[in-house]
Amino acid sequence: MKGLHVIGVSHSYGDNQVLNSASMMIPAGEVVCLLGSSGSGKTTLLRLAAGLERLLHGQILINDEVVADAEIHVPPEHRGIGLMFQDYALFPHLSIIDNVTFGLAGKPKDKARRQGMEMLDQVSMTDYAESHPHMLSGGQQQRVALARALAPEPNLLLLDEPFSGLDTNMRGQIREETLTVLKASGVATVMVTHDPEEAMFMADRIKILGNNGRILQAGRPHEIYYHPQHEFVAKLFGLMNRFESVVEGGYVETPIGKLRAKGLGEGRKVEVLVRPEGVTLESNSGGKSGGGAPLDVISTHLLGHDNIVRAKLTAENVAPEERDLYVRIHHTFEPELTKRITAGVDAEYAFIFALDGSGDVAGDGYTATPQPEAAE
Amino acid sequence: MVELTPSFLMDYESLDKEHQALADIVNQVVEAIDGGEAEKCKTLVPEFVKLATEHFAHEEALLVEVGYPNVKKHQDHHRNLNTKMDHMIEFSNMAGENQLARDSLRKELVFFLMDDVITTDMDFKAFVEEKIKTGDA
Repeated sequence: MKGLHVIGVSHSYGDNQVLNSASMMIPAGEVVCLLGSSGSGKTTLLRLAAGLERLLHGQILINDEVVADAEIHVPPEHRGIGLMFQDYALFPHLSIIDNVTFGLAGKPKDKARRQGMEMLDQVSMTDYAESHPHMLSGGQQQRVALARALAPEPNLLLLDEPFSGLDTNMRGQIREETLTVLKASGVATVMVTHDPEEAMFMADRIKILGNNGRILQAGRPHEIYYHPQHEFVAKLFGLMNRFESVVEGGYVETPIGKLRAKGLGEGRKVEVLVRPEGVTLESNSGGKSGGGAPLDVISTHLLGHDNIVRAKLTAENVAPEERDLYVRIHHTFEPELTKRITAGVDAEYAFIFALDGSGDVAGDGYTATPQPEAAE
Repeated sequence: MVELTPSFLMDYESLDKEHQALADIVNQVVEAIDGGEAEKCKTLVPEFVKLATEHFAHEEALLVEVGYPNVKKHQDHHRNLNTKMDHMIEFSNMAGENQLARDSLRKELVFFLMDDVITTDMDFKAFVEEKIKTGDA
């Protein structure tokens, strides 16, 4: 089947294992983002697929052809791959069109130029064909880099933090344009990023690599965000409120509300992670409590389209380490001194993980592993 | 369309047959969507989920039988796929009326089969092969 097929790839630098039996299939036309912290092995995986490193263990196939295993190492230039890095890596002494046609050296010159111009047209850069890289902005150079990577019609496109050199506004625009071009090209694409928001925007599927070089979870962006199967995955998307609790009667109690712990047995110790947008605030005039957890607002931080509110839970029975609360709200928030504010929890943004190291997680999708007799 | 080329074969007949049966349904779903008959997904996708569930049970029983050391990890992986299967059923119910549901269903089915199921099964391929050689499977 067309695309990239990685089977059981492990890799080490000396004693430092950076990939641990990583496997994945990326069909043609799909964009998969490898997301993880520094040192999680995501760039190594990209380099192995590109042939820039020799594979130690496992197998890599591109469009059904083995390009790397313990014995085979097809050199990068024969793998039919396009590469794009954050530093653009355009040749400074070549014009833009010559940069784009660089990978088409085997083709007749007029055909290569026509193909190069078509690629420049796709990224809206035909007006700059005779310019040189230093005459272009960072965003324009990145468009040219994309055109150059796609011009030879590769089987696979590998992107390593391609937008990290761009400022925030330009980044949003260029990644949107890039996604449009990638989808039109039908090429299988692997993009490495450490930016969760970027992965959510670009990917058909996200692969999360943990610090031990293992793939922890793979899924649609929605699934990764709303159904994390690992606390590392849940925490990737920024600040979390954390509480410890014990399962009682199928529920866990937190200082800001009770949550169903589906699938986790009675008496199990758990940690509850609540995204800041999963904390609800309520203002109760006259100092009346609406039943939520009372708190004092410490500060509010306007981020443009939403606010981060830092607060402290005030009930005496809340453990000191669980008093600090982060809340994200999507409207103007200006606490009034005459009103009492309480916090609640939205279960959609709360995740419950067993603390016993078993890796068990509670959630709507959690059901016991089907047994043979149940499958009749 | 999904095609189980040699790199997707487990070289264990019953598992390969089950993978092929799943691939056949994925291709029927793709054909139904492309042919403007997305309503068919309402019956095809539950059938896929049923077959996948049976496949997981069969596979886990096999792994226990041959003494695969990472059987718990593989069981956990199967368990984590339940959410995905729930979502595929939801998409299939909406596929008749909703383009986004059709696109999501097609994408999710292909990734589920090729990435989550078959490619992950490759983790134990060598172990089972060895057991067959020694007559333990």
